[in-house]
Amino acid sequence: MLKSLLLEFCRWCNNSWWGHGIRDSTWLFPFVEIFHLIGLGILGGTILILNLRLMRLAFRSESTAELAGEVRPWMLGSLAVMLLSGFLLFSTEAVKMYGNWAFQFKMLFLLLAIIYTFTVHRKITLADDGRFGAAVRIFVATVSLLLWTGVGLGGRALGYVTTSVNSVSDLLR
Amino acid sequence: MLASFLEWLSNTQFSTFMRESTWAEPIVESIHVLTLTLFLGFAVMLDMRLLGVTLKRRRMSEVLAQFNPWLFAGFAVMIVTGVLLFCGDPVSFYNTHPPFFKIKMIMLVLAGLNVLIFNATIGRKVAEWDLSPSTPGAAKVAGVVSIVLWVLIVAAGRAIAYVLPPP
Repeated sequence: MLKSLLLEFCRWCNNSWWGHGIRDSTWLFPFVEIFHLIGLGILGGTILILNLRLMRLAFRSESTAELAGEVRPWMLGSLAVMLLSGFLLFSTEAVKMYGNWAFQFKMLFLLLAIIYTFTVHRKITLADDGRFGAAVRIFVATVSLLLWTGVGLGGRALGYVTTSVNSVSDLLR
Repeated sequence: MLASFLEWLSNTQFSTFMRESTWAEPIVESIHVLTLTLFLGFAVMLDMRLLGVTLKRRRMSEVLAQFNPWLFAGFAVMIVTGVLLFCGDPVSFYNTHPPFFKIKMIMLVLAGLNVLIFNATIGRKVAEWDLSPSTPGAAKVAGVVSIVLWVLIVAAGRAIAYVLPPP
């Protein structure tokens, strides 16, 4: 039931006007990809900053909650850019992605990472610095880093598991 | 001269290994791409402080001192992995058409110059504007130039992969 629904969703994305449009254009795929990469830098950077602070490895002159307040808009903004650009890239070969193990891995970790970031991680980063012990903070930061690294590695693996249907490289050569 | 050096480099054992190994290129490239989080992410946050957007209540000198070691570490990983990738096929990298590789290298030099100029001018006088509510114009210029260059460097880097011949 869920499986056929997911497949139906992938088909719908694949046949959407944006799926067609990006697939048929020479420049749109790389253009959207660059947004995805810049988003990766900023999202990963802000997550690293927060986790380094949680582990007391950097940015110690600021309280964790204060730092979280400063970087949170950047984290949420870049997450939005990543989700939107990622969805557009996915739509160009959604049906292929349905059966791609690296993509499934990435989506599973993405789901877990987002839930974790907005629940456990949020609670700990916004708490007063004295409230949770070092062990808890290091554990929470490590889990966050592992989940997001899983998303990143899954994303890297995607490209090696499938060859893109986009023929940009051929057109340019 | 340069052409024969690139030719020589591509015939070294190491270059052949990078080209022929199944895992070397994907691993090195993944490290290169994922280190964007440490390098680009931190650089953008620091540039935003230069623009007076984030971390405004913190002394600029303190922010610089806290970010710099991580930026250096990220940059070092980027350079090392970048050189390793280049070694895999130096002749093709150098001769990409359109010349995205050369464009990227020129912009890298410009980004380096931007840091040097900042350190020699407004950065030297950081104590004077450490906590001022609005950062000086020169600091803002350095921040904007940095962001623009790094975004273009990422774009050029991605473009290189599109125009390299397939392995």
